[in-house]
Amino acid sequence: MYTQSLDLPNTDAGNTDSAGLPTEAAFLARIARDEKIEPQDAMPEAYRKSLIRQISQHAHSEVVGMLPEGNWITRAPSLKRKEILLAKVQDEGGHGLYLYSAAETLGASRDDMIDALHSGKAKYSSIFNYPTDSWADIGTIGWLVDGAAIMNQVPLCRCSYGPYARAMIRVCKEESFHQRQGFDIVRALCEGTPAQKQLAQESVNRWWWPTLMMFGPHDSDSEHSGQANAWGIKRISNDDLRQTFVDVTVPQAAFLGLTLPDPLLEWNAERGHYDFGPLDWDEFWRVVRGDGPCNAERLNDRVEAFEKGRWVREAAVAHAARHAARAVSIASEKIAA
Amino acid sequence: MSTSPESSWSLFEVFIRSKQGLDHKHVGSLHASDAAHAVTLARDVYTRRQEGVSIWVVPSNAITASDPDQRADNFDPMASKIYRHPTFYDIPEEIGHM
Amino acid sequence: MPNALPEKTLLTLADTCLLWGHRLSEWCGHGPALEEDIALTNTALDVIGQARALLQLVAARRTPATTEDALAYFRDSHEFRNVTLAELPNGDYAQTILRSLLLAAWFVPVWEALEKHADRQVAAIAANAAKEARMQLRHAHDWVVRFGDGTPESRQRIEAAIGALWPSCAELLDTEIDGTARDARRAAWSNVVAAAFDEATLTFPVVGALHEPNSAHADRFALLAEMQSLARQHPDAVW
Repeated sequence: MYTQSLDLPNTDAGNTDSAGLPTEAAFLARIARDEKIEPQDAMPEAYRKSLIRQISQHAHSEVVGMLPEGNWITRAPSLKRKEILLAKVQDEGGHGLYLYSAAETLGASRDDMIDALHSGKAKYSSIFNYPTDSWADIGTIGWLVDGAAIMNQVPLCRCSYGPYARAMIRVCKEESFHQRQGFDIVRALCEGTPAQKQLAQESVNRWWWPTLMMFGPHDSDSEHSGQANAWGIKRISNDDLRQTFVDVTVPQAAFLGLTLPDPLLEWNAERGHYDFGPLDWDEFWRVVRGDGPCNAERLNDRVEAFEKGRWVREAAVAHAARHAARAVSIASEKIAA
Repeated sequence: MSTSPESSWSLFEVFIRSKQGLDHKHVGSLHASDAAHAVTLARDVYTRRQEGVSIWVVPSNAITASDPDQRADNFDPMASKIYRHPTFYDIPEEIGHM
Repeated sequence: MPNALPEKTLLTLADTCLLWGHRLSEWCGHGPALEEDIALTNTALDVIGQARALLQLVAARRTPATTEDALAYFRDSHEFRNVTLAELPNGDYAQTILRSLLLAAWFVPVWEALEKHADRQVAAIAANAAKEARMQLRHAHDWVVRFGDGTPESRQRIEAAIGALWPSCAELLDTEIDGTARDARRAAWSNVVAAAFDEATLTFPVVGALHEPNSAHADRFALLAEMQSLARQHPDAVW
């Protein structure tokens, strides 16, 4: 699972809530008491909208996230890896589904959310707009990208909105398998032939910086973070999460014998953390705004799958309707007899 | 490119019994063309890790819920009926467990 | 081992599962609905799991012993023994679903017979596979009924799929599987498929006589070129 969503700008984010003002104070008091908000509860319109935006972006990220890894299912180099990868990509679909379900409890329809994705209005995690050029990328995505995602999503298990928190608990349970299988792929490469080791190093070189960007902009530049904190949707800041991720990942890379592509990466004893170099925010915004290496391809794949599936979904609806009508007519015949 | 009602499946709530002897518990929802379809899809979506031995599905729009604004009136009065709980009663030590 | 199922039979089953699993896995992330994407991937995982179990058995019984991956990734196309139906490209969802029905209807009686086979290792694999094949059959059956008795478009597509896949059924039904009775399997297959077609208001065509078996297997060649590409670039690698 891949959240970066809270921090992404949206054309119709709409944080203006005039009607909700009278309840705002009471609502914030509930949040402050750590009460969970459930679907039928009164909530400020801005809270509802913000959640729909975040949860649907999160769901889109899961579903789009199936594509870069799915790219290697047919070429996985062993049957064991093929099986694991297939199960993993399938899980991402499941995560998308749990999250769409959570958003639907807020009155959003899945059709509308998918429309927003397909029309380019809704965003998804920019990490999936990078290509998976080698098998090693499948390992790196699991190890680094899923690792970063887990760090983002564990706090969401305690978020104020009940259905989102519950979906995240389910997602988190499944996600730790994802990170471990990724680490396992990279480890096998690092313990393998020189050519395999090189694949792993090149892959980490490609994915390290985009992974750090997954935590979103600096706290000072984060458009939605302040409000999200107050609402109990976001619990830990972007920069704090990013620092934690760097701190846990550096020793893992050392264990694998891999170099992280940052000359400024250094332990800072005073802070008790690793210092690391500046991120390329121009690249970040370019990819978020649709100009990444694979934005068009990803969206095109999603739209194509959806359009090609339309007649299938329609057939199921038509058959169900006819089946139900038949059941009614049989029942009325029985009553008449 | 937009969605159409002809291709939209209905929303169902899914309940799973995790093992024989336990209650069915709400686990989430999914879209399906009818209830029988929802049961088969729930098996694929919600029991991939042996989470269940039995599945119920209910059309989401068939659920009637209590009013959250009535929550205090509905449920707070029960707080004072402490005599309903076994811990309300002192049992002499000589008696032991009861 | 006196009761051992012959290797050629094990490979026919294993290769059929492997290539069919490959085709199913191509749908992952591209299915017609999120729920259905997940459902079809469960079938893919089931048949790939069956292929692995069988290939592991073959590998262990060879002298000298080999590995499932050596068999999957380093045999050439002409060494594969799958039924042709398993290797064909997916086509649209109607073709994939119909193929799933035709193969599951073939596999269920195979596994149910092998479940009782004296080759205990094969029987154990078959007992598990029988359950999975029955689930695959149910899934495919339900969709064939929805397509036949759905919209004009879905009906036209499932009829086109029947036209496209029917020529491959003769070979499927003609395939010998040691430890099973071919005529009984053929009858069981016809009953199950005809029942689905009946419910779908579709016509069940006669399965024609077996033509010259397809010896070119161009689809298999292309499939394996993709599947084996990475493994063959690194022949010494452990993954």
